[in-house]
Amino acid sequence: MDINSLFVFLGENLSQFFSYTSFSHLTIGHIIMMGWGLLFLYLAIRHEFEPMLLVPIGFGILIGNIPFMAGLKIGIYEEGSVLNILYFGVVQGIYPPLIFLGIGAMTDFSALISNPKLMLIGAAAQLGIFGAYMVALVLGFMPSEAAAIGIIGGADGPTAIFLSSRLAPHLMGAVAISAYSYMALVPVIQPPVMKLLTSRRERLIRMRAPRAVSHLEKVMFPIIGLLLTCLIVPSGLPLLGMLFFGNLLKESGVTRRLAETARGPLIDIVTILIGLTVGASTQATTFLTFDSVRIFLLGAASFVVATFGGVMFVKIFNLFLKEGNKINPLIGNAGVSAVPDSARVSQVIGLQYDKTNHLLMHAMGPNVAGVIGSAVAAGILLGFLS
Amino acid sequence: MISIAQRIFNACLGRFGRQALAALAVAGLWLPAAQGQRTTDFRLNEFMVLNQTNYEDDFGERSSWIEVFNTSYGTVDIGGCYLSDDPANLKKYPIPKGDVLTSIKPRQHVIFWADNKPTHGTFHLNFRIDDTRFLVLTSSDGRTIIDSVTYPEQTPDVSYGRTEDGVGAWHFCERTTPSTNNSLVQLEAASDRFKTYDPLGIAMTITAMSVVFLALILLFIIFKNVGKTALWVIAFRGRKIPKESPAQATVSGEKQQPSAGAVFAAIAYALRRYELEMSELESNVLTINKVAKAYSPWSSKIYTLRERPNKKSK
Repeated sequence: MDINSLFVFLGENLSQFFSYTSFSHLTIGHIIMMGWGLLFLYLAIRHEFEPMLLVPIGFGILIGNIPFMAGLKIGIYEEGSVLNILYFGVVQGIYPPLIFLGIGAMTDFSALISNPKLMLIGAAAQLGIFGAYMVALVLGFMPSEAAAIGIIGGADGPTAIFLSSRLAPHLMGAVAISAYSYMALVPVIQPPVMKLLTSRRERLIRMRAPRAVSHLEKVMFPIIGLLLTCLIVPSGLPLLGMLFFGNLLKESGVTRRLAETARGPLIDIVTILIGLTVGASTQATTFLTFDSVRIFLLGAASFVVATFGGVMFVKIFNLFLKEGNKINPLIGNAGVSAVPDSARVSQVIGLQYDKTNHLLMHAMGPNVAGVIGSAVAAGILLGFLS
Repeated sequence: MISIAQRIFNACLGRFGRQALAALAVAGLWLPAAQGQRTTDFRLNEFMVLNQTNYEDDFGERSSWIEVFNTSYGTVDIGGCYLSDDPANLKKYPIPKGDVLTSIKPRQHVIFWADNKPTHGTFHLNFRIDDTRFLVLTSSDGRTIIDSVTYPEQTPDVSYGRTEDGVGAWHFCERTTPSTNNSLVQLEAASDRFKTYDPLGIAMTITAMSVVFLALILLFIIFKNVGKTALWVIAFRGRKIPKESPAQATVSGEKQQPSAGAVFAAIAYALRRYELEMSELESNVLTINKVAKAYSPWSSKIYTLRERPNKKSK
């Protein structure tokens, strides 16, 4: 055997092996995205910012940004790969309604039923969606793209994924990451706006304790809610239908096993799949664009506008309410559908000014109304622009 | 307690009756749902009888053609249906089953050639329509007519079709449009339309916010009244309760129920405590408790020390 040719062969083999490794394909973009993934993991694990979402997304970003030789059927955008098959649920909008089913099965609408006027706060806070929509149009995005960006202001990850997968699939990664990032940052974004817009006297408003809600009312809510909202906005049916169905499973009292599956294993499985695949879809080559930066900025602005809309609506609404029936404007921020984070923010800020004024239950009303409101808003945008 | 109405209902139906009713209800739900992908969604859409200088088939031949349109939003297989020009013989040409090409995509067209050359393929009929004035598409049962048309005398190279795909009146088409839409209106994309007429998004914002408010205001109105009714029912039932439970009675005889807010606060507090106390972290503090039982074989030196080998004496 010729020793020289053996070394040449060995060298070629090693060179070929190196071309297979990720190092030979690594770019600065991949490193930046991996940094993002690690930041998400840090925020989730160290600071417990939405860990259920940020851990799968953060890890998904790492998975999606390990470069590889194309054609091996391993990438999320390569047809037939495992990740691509899992991503199908995102692209076709299958996962978001399933998540809504789980959310419905775990949401108690009692706070809303006992004080129905809080529903209007959930409507007012949708201003964030349309504020961002208008700004996005001014920045040159097409209406369908602007709608996908604006829905970030609804503070609802599944809704954002659902709408962007329909209207602007090419922006879905950036929209989803932006929505989940700002949902995790609700405790950081909302308090300054809330404090800025309210006076000390308003922050000390004590609200009436909510009345007890009967079983019949709880059963009627999802049925009437579905018929009413979906007859007005049928395009919101996948989200609203599943949300109210999940809630009926919970409240009917006769489908305990189904409700437990919907709010337990089912939502957990779908959360894992949606988080991981959305994270993995942010490959540096498709994600690191100037548009993504603009989407991030617009997302932050939409959260601020949504908080503004909710708080200001309560202040105006209070002008028409009698003393004793007034609403603490600190629950206005909870009109976005980041459940229960924004309600928790209301509670925390409320306690800063009055240690005995617990706003959590009151804030849960607009918070769950925000879920309905953002799904209705998504349905309207889908109806008009698809 | 079972109401009188329920008792009558149960007595009338019995167990099997209730099951049958449930099955009927399920079937009732299924039927309209299944409508989306049925062969009844097909429509005769356009045809040309005297094709002299118009559309050619794959063999380069000109003959009469018939366009069928799938009006549904799901893929439907036309295989198994029948095409005919004879009202007395609806099953004149059975469209072959099993050909992948007979699966017609949503809102798409398919062309059949009335050239009496069925050996040319699935879409070549076994009759000509030069001397008839009637066309019919029949379902796979051979009896149910899906669509039919009786037409006037035809002009060479002018097709006869519906004004709009699947719907609309029949007329002589100004333009022949085989395998494409009959009304060639350039539909502007919704997004483009909004870009043109609402560049700042003001109209969209006003419309959408109004609809969101409308939906939630309606819910508000309904549940405000439902709440009032519920309170009235509770109050009405309360009057019927003969005795107060000891927990609800006070010395003065007034009811003393914890307010709903207090209950919620207590639950929230308990949950918070639970969350705070629940941790996956170990404390890392080793605690050696004195074992009450003084002797254990695990601590016995007999078992833990190696026995020295005994030197057996002979």
